[in-house]
Amino acid sequence: MWLDPRSVYVIAKKEFADNARNKWILALVSIFLVLVLAASIMAGGGKMGEMSMTVSTLSSISSMLIPVIAIMLGYATISGEAESGAISVVLASPVRRVEVLLGKYLGLGSVICFSVLVGYGISGILIGATTGIAQWTGYLVFMLLSMLLGLLYLSLSICFSSVLKRRVTSLAAGVVVFFWGAIVGMVVIGLYMATGGSLADFIAGDTSSIPDWVWFEMFLSPQDGSGVAAMLAFGETEFLGYDLDLPPWVNLGTLVLVQLLWTVIPLVLACVWFERRDV
Amino acid sequence: MHDSSVVIETRALTKRFKDVLAVDSLSMKVRKGEIYGFLGPNGAGKSTTIKMIMGLFRPTSGKVFIEGRQTNGGGVELRKDIGFLPERISFYDNLTPVQTLDFFCELRGADKAVVSSLLRDVGLDNAANRRVGTFSKGMTQLLGVAQAMIGAPSIYVLDEPMGGLDARWVKVVRDRLRMLNEQGATIIFSSHILSEVQMLCRRVAIINKGRLVAEDTIENINDHLNLRPRLWIHSPGLGNKAPSWIHEIEGVEDVVVKDDTMLVTCDAAFRLKIMMTMNERGLRIEDFRTVEPSLEEAFVRLLSGEEG
Repeated sequence: MWLDPRSVYVIAKKEFADNARNKWILALVSIFLVLVLAASIMAGGGKMGEMSMTVSTLSSISSMLIPVIAIMLGYATISGEAESGAISVVLASPVRRVEVLLGKYLGLGSVICFSVLVGYGISGILIGATTGIAQWTGYLVFMLLSMLLGLLYLSLSICFSSVLKRRVTSLAAGVVVFFWGAIVGMVVIGLYMATGGSLADFIAGDTSSIPDWVWFEMFLSPQDGSGVAAMLAFGETEFLGYDLDLPPWVNLGTLVLVQLLWTVIPLVLACVWFERRDV
Repeated sequence: MHDSSVVIETRALTKRFKDVLAVDSLSMKVRKGEIYGFLGPNGAGKSTTIKMIMGLFRPTSGKVFIEGRQTNGGGVELRKDIGFLPERISFYDNLTPVQTLDFFCELRGADKAVVSSLLRDVGLDNAANRRVGTFSKGMTQLLGVAQAMIGAPSIYVLDEPMGGLDARWVKVVRDRLRMLNEQGATIIFSSHILSEVQMLCRRVAIINKGRLVAEDTIENINDHLNLRPRLWIHSPGLGNKAPSWIHEIEGVEDVVVKDDTMLVTCDAAFRLKIMMTMNERGLRIEDFRTVEPSLEEAFVRLLSGEEG
């Protein structure tokens, strides 16, 4: 058989239990809970704001924070354990490397998903109880998008952890990957300006004159893509004061599809590289 | 056709790291039921070879066979029957020894009921609930030995199992290895502590600079190198000088004198006669014993032969 689900489960369970033991999960749930409630109160001007308002306030912070958490959880997974030597005994056990890698991915992934589910879930219920639950599908999609964003960055961080030799270099790679998502928007705007775009239009929020290729940025930056997808999930067309006059090929479906590609491709590469690695 | 008495075999195993040839066309055979010593100076390629046997390193070329089946770096089924102790073992700092062994029991599909007896076997039962992160190097090593015994494998691959242990624990591990071997397990262990190897092993492989220098029983290696038992004689008043007549005695092959002691190389059959002659000639023998050739001598001789 190609994969033994039992081995994957044993590894995943250990990763999850580790993070429960060292109180990471508790900390994450608390952070998410406080973050959403604070965003809601900000959006509502002193009292609980509506879900869509909350999410638009929240999404830029959330799409920064979740990648940071995922990278912190994942960056040392392979390189750190290879450096300490802890992975040798695991890999000399009757398990396949792909099982170890997937087990770690699923274990750490469930740490993220569980924390988002509980943290965002409880605060969602509190908001819903105060302001009504009319937008609950949008909020649900936002929660799923947040989990997907976490899984995406976890996949990226495990990918470079599986190829890099040392803990510190994989941390550096994590920083690079994080900043890529954060600055690619600026790079694209720079290109737009360089090719004759008007900053005035951009600042005025008149996006109708912006060429379609600029929107491709949503596919290049997982963080921005996730944020815009969350807006679209609520049927919002305004984002941070900008009118989102998106071309038809940028929609919730394509954004999610690209996020899935960002997740699956690095994970497959991680499996291939880890399989070849000398530990 | 596979020889069923061979448990682990490497054929022309080679590992190159960039410009360093760590293991160079190494072929060796570990036979069923033996304790096989794998010797070499630091950096000779012992750990690299062991990692290739366990599939942790990919060979640059060459093959590893376990029980006649080529491992190809995979071999999940084959690894079920192997207990492994890596060099400079490390576990997860935040787990206790019980949690650590529970985890490896689950990975190996073994019953967790054995955990407390394994900890007792290596003398860690009083530290069962401490975090492994607080362990000394020696304690971690002992936990590694306990880990290797999970599921009672029939093959053990141990990289420096006595490294970092104090004398008391060395004995615990040595006794444990003997016991496992008596119960039928095949053991290969690497070491640079030659006295340990001499105590435990019959057959050894000696490697240097990644190449096999010798693979045989300790006796055969000594014979081959013409390493002979010697007669150690303590005679007060010798004064750092051998008596002039000493070479006239039949059977004396070589004599080395230091202060009041003399080492005489001779055939066992001549020992008594030599001492009687010495006595007749007026040499006062206060004490004597025979000195068996040590593995250390063979080792030094083989390696210096390599250098020269």
